[in-house]
Amino acid sequence: MNEIIPIMVIVPLMAALLISAFSKFNKVTKIFAFVVALCLPLIPILSNYGLHYFGGYQPMLDNVTGVMYHPAITYSFTFLQQIFIAAIGLLTFLVIFIYLTKYKKVSGPYLFLLFLGTAAVTAMILTDDIFHMFVFFEILALAQVGIVAASSIDYSYEMALKYMILGSIGSPMMLLGIGFLLALTGSVNVSDIAAAVHAGLVNATSPVFLLSLALIFFGWLYASGLPPFHTIKSGIYSKAEPHGAALLQSFTVISMISIVLIMFRIYASLPIFEVLIVFFSILAMILGVSLALTQTDFRRMIGFLAVGELGFIGLGIGLGTNFSITAGLFQALNEIIITALLFIGFGAIVNATNEVDTRKLGGLLAYHPKVSIMLLIGGLAMAGVPPLSGFQSKLMLVQASLSCGYPELSILAIMVSIATFVVFVKTYYTMFLKPKPNDLDLENKEVPKAMIFAMGVLLVIVILLGVFPDVVTSGISNFVGGIL
Amino acid sequence: MAEVQLVILFTSVALVVIGLYSAIFLDNIIKKIIGISFIEEGVNLFIVAIGYKAGGIVPILMPGMDTTWFASNAAYPLPFGLVLTSIVIGASTLAVMLALVMVLYRRYGTLSTKVMLADTSKREEYNE
Repeated sequence: MNEIIPIMVIVPLMAALLISAFSKFNKVTKIFAFVVALCLPLIPILSNYGLHYFGGYQPMLDNVTGVMYHPAITYSFTFLQQIFIAAIGLLTFLVIFIYLTKYKKVSGPYLFLLFLGTAAVTAMILTDDIFHMFVFFEILALAQVGIVAASSIDYSYEMALKYMILGSIGSPMMLLGIGFLLALTGSVNVSDIAAAVHAGLVNATSPVFLLSLALIFFGWLYASGLPPFHTIKSGIYSKAEPHGAALLQSFTVISMISIVLIMFRIYASLPIFEVLIVFFSILAMILGVSLALTQTDFRRMIGFLAVGELGFIGLGIGLGTNFSITAGLFQALNEIIITALLFIGFGAIVNATNEVDTRKLGGLLAYHPKVSIMLLIGGLAMAGVPPLSGFQSKLMLVQASLSCGYPELSILAIMVSIATFVVFVKTYYTMFLKPKPNDLDLENKEVPKAMIFAMGVLLVIVILLGVFPDVVTSGISNFVGGIL
Repeated sequence: MAEVQLVILFTSVALVVIGLYSAIFLDNIIKKIIGISFIEEGVNLFIVAIGYKAGGIVPILMPGMDTTWFASNAAYPLPFGLVLTSIVIGASTLAVMLALVMVLYRRYGTLSTKVMLADTSKREEYNE
């Protein structure tokens, strides 16, 4: 048993509570938040793989059925968890660094929400207990709503309430699905439920089992921002502070893969499961990129592009082979990094211009060359241009579609990538290359150095993952082999 | 399935359906939130019903109790633990939603979702 594993959740959770309680001591709060945030990516990197059983209750043998069962909540820490927790930890650090350098007087509740969200997604990806995952999913939703409401952007409260109302319908549906699984198997441990399904103790074609799939799937669509929730998801990105949006999208991606991997372990034997995932993923890809094309608010544009990229992740997982799931999870990691880079980069532009409408911008390349170049590389990475990380994962997805016997899906993936490229180049030209409008004042407006530093760090990762994808994909592939 | 359990299940279904209707079709934000509470409570009731055991005892092992007798007679405790957590989460969600509604009510002076949650373009029309 590995005692370090829960530390990854406890550290951000305790930091959130302490910062909230002692936020009136501004300088101490700043130093404490910085130090804790710095530790977040280091803890998973330094930890050993293993399992943690809460309360020390190890798996036990049921004398009646002869099956092993888990009496307590279990955390599982493998390469996949390590890489994603390290990524979210790094992003949290960069976002908190930007926030701390931006404001002289920091807000305790805002830092509380950032740490709380990080703790929630970390627990979601670690846990082997579906109800435990649901609890942190709800905590995450509250943190997300708080991050949006705390921004100074117009109509952020309205967007937060809309998101909350939809979430309050989606979450109980997921809980109802978990209730059905509990009724069928008597357990909420994912390994136990999966074992019961694979051993034939649960009739996989029974209406109750199918209903549980439908309900949990509905909750997953809400958590992931896949259609029909794509509009609200891109909406909350556009109403959050840019660095907050960078973190929010990473929360979305990790909650998406956490839930879908749990569903995969339980429902993989149902052919309808993979069909559903692929269907909604294709819908997300098409709607995301189409709606991005029509946006004039560049925050909203990135939000829709992020939704489209989620479709690629779903496509890989929905195809259901080791290679395709590896590609999907690699795409998830890339999306976290690339979209965060774009949100922070465009946030830097908002900071310098106080403008989000692309039609009112222009000529920014001459005034902010560093940001312009880093954003260009980030956009190209998202569109899948070699040798960047987005290219590697998208190439893997195209190969996976072909090897599964679905050339039409690979054609669609390529077309959506081209459309993403078009959307990005159009926006980039409007903002950076076309002549500066006369009424746009760009003199003496600098981009915060912390934002440039954060973009630089993310850009290095994008390039490294593009050049050396095997560092990540081989480990992910081993993990996927274990769950298949 | 025990008769009591069946009645509870039907009640929970009724709560969820009424809640969904209110949350989706009613315009008043407070009524929507009451509907959302109905959905949550319906789901909680359903999970409680799973743990029901006709003639069962409270699942607390007291000193002197025979463990085999206890295991065969006690109600299943896991659903109760889950519902307790779910109630706490539901209360937190409700509190945050009502706090947001309070802020928006002060801003718009109405509880109509058509006004307070309208698109930016439509909101200007309503204000006129």
